Amino acid sequence: MNVRAVRLAAAAAALAGAGVTAYLLSVRWGGGELVCRTGGCETVQSSDYAELLGIPVAALGLGAYAAIAFLVLVASPVALAAAVSLALAACAFSAYLLVVQVSVIGELCDWCLVNDALVNVVAALVLFGAYASMRPASSA
Amino acid sequence: MLSRGLLGASLAAAAVLASVLIAVSVISANSSASERPDVTATEFAGDPALLRGVPQDGAVLGACGAPVTLVEYADLQCPYCAQWARAALPELVRDYVRPGRVRIEFRGLAFLGPDSEVALRAAIAAGQQDRLWDVVHLLYANQGAENTGWVTQELLDGIAAAVQGLNGGRMLGQRWTPQVERHLVAASDAAERDRIAGTPAFLAGPTGGKLEPIALSSLDAAPVRAQLDGLLAR
Repeated sequence: MNVRAVRLAAAAAALAGAGVTAYLLSVRWGGGELVCRTGGCETVQSSDYAELLGIPVAALGLGAYAAIAFLVLVASPVALAAAVSLALAACAFSAYLLVVQVSVIGELCDWCLVNDALVNVVAALVLFGAYASMRPASSA
Repeated sequence: MLSRGLLGASLAAAAVLASVLIAVSVISANSSASERPDVTATEFAGDPALLRGVPQDGAVLGACGAPVTLVEYADLQCPYCAQWARAALPELVRDYVRPGRVRIEFRGLAFLGPDSEVALRAAIAAGQQDRLWDVVHLLYANQGAENTGWVTQELLDGIAAAVQGLNGGRMLGQRWTPQVERHLVAASDAAERDRIAGTPAFLAGPTGGKLEPIALSSLDAAPVRAQLDGLLAR
């Protein structure tokens, strides 16, 4: 797989994540009820952990996904390094929020689990892309 | 081409960013929790011993195997319901529910106005954690004048914080779920079926059997006691 394909895949996964977070935000700001199989989505989304300094975590996620999608498509080492930072930080923060759901809130949110999966895919692809771009062009 | 130095710097930046996000989240969540009123230190507290150790299952108070079931129809804004809860319920819990002889099923109605529904939704949502009766008890203990907006977010936050074993965030978040909606509709349908004309209203009968209405001649425990004693003596 060449570096360009990996970057495109990372951007696509990040845009899928942006879609999930945009949906969460649209329900939060527009009213209505989340589609939720576990029944825990409303609880998690209305918990103290759903905001960071008054900013919905979904909004931060949307910003991060959009930034990652943009950065991986920019053919620059600094942009790729920034994408790695954002993706790994997002991955760690998602893991923390998963622990919070299980151990503090006592409920799981379907959309958070989808987001967790996507953020892991994005981080893996971004890291792979970064690793591949470190190797000499002939072996990439 | 990405250099090893740049990749190392990006990994370090990721660690710092993640640490900051997690730290801010923890601080922010703790700060929100500490801003809620300490209900246990106020008159909101009600009688914490009343329900302690009594099993609850959804809207039911008492052992599931109790031979007699008492059904209570109530509106959480209704002052007579609150009066009955203060004057009669403690005695009934002590003499009938704690010993496992009677189970009480709460069927909440919201016909007095908007505050009734706000309060009832919170109580039913608490029932999903088997804490409905604790929330009902505290709502009665803090009941305000009808439809004055007394069921505030602050009150619900305080009550949620005061009830042991209740996940307040979960209760507040579940007030508008389809499960709560179904519960509201079911209680309303049951009230129509039982021809309930006002609250509080009671029915009693053998658990799983036919329930008969209780003529409430006073708001103390006597009328209900008479009916329960009769049923238990059979």
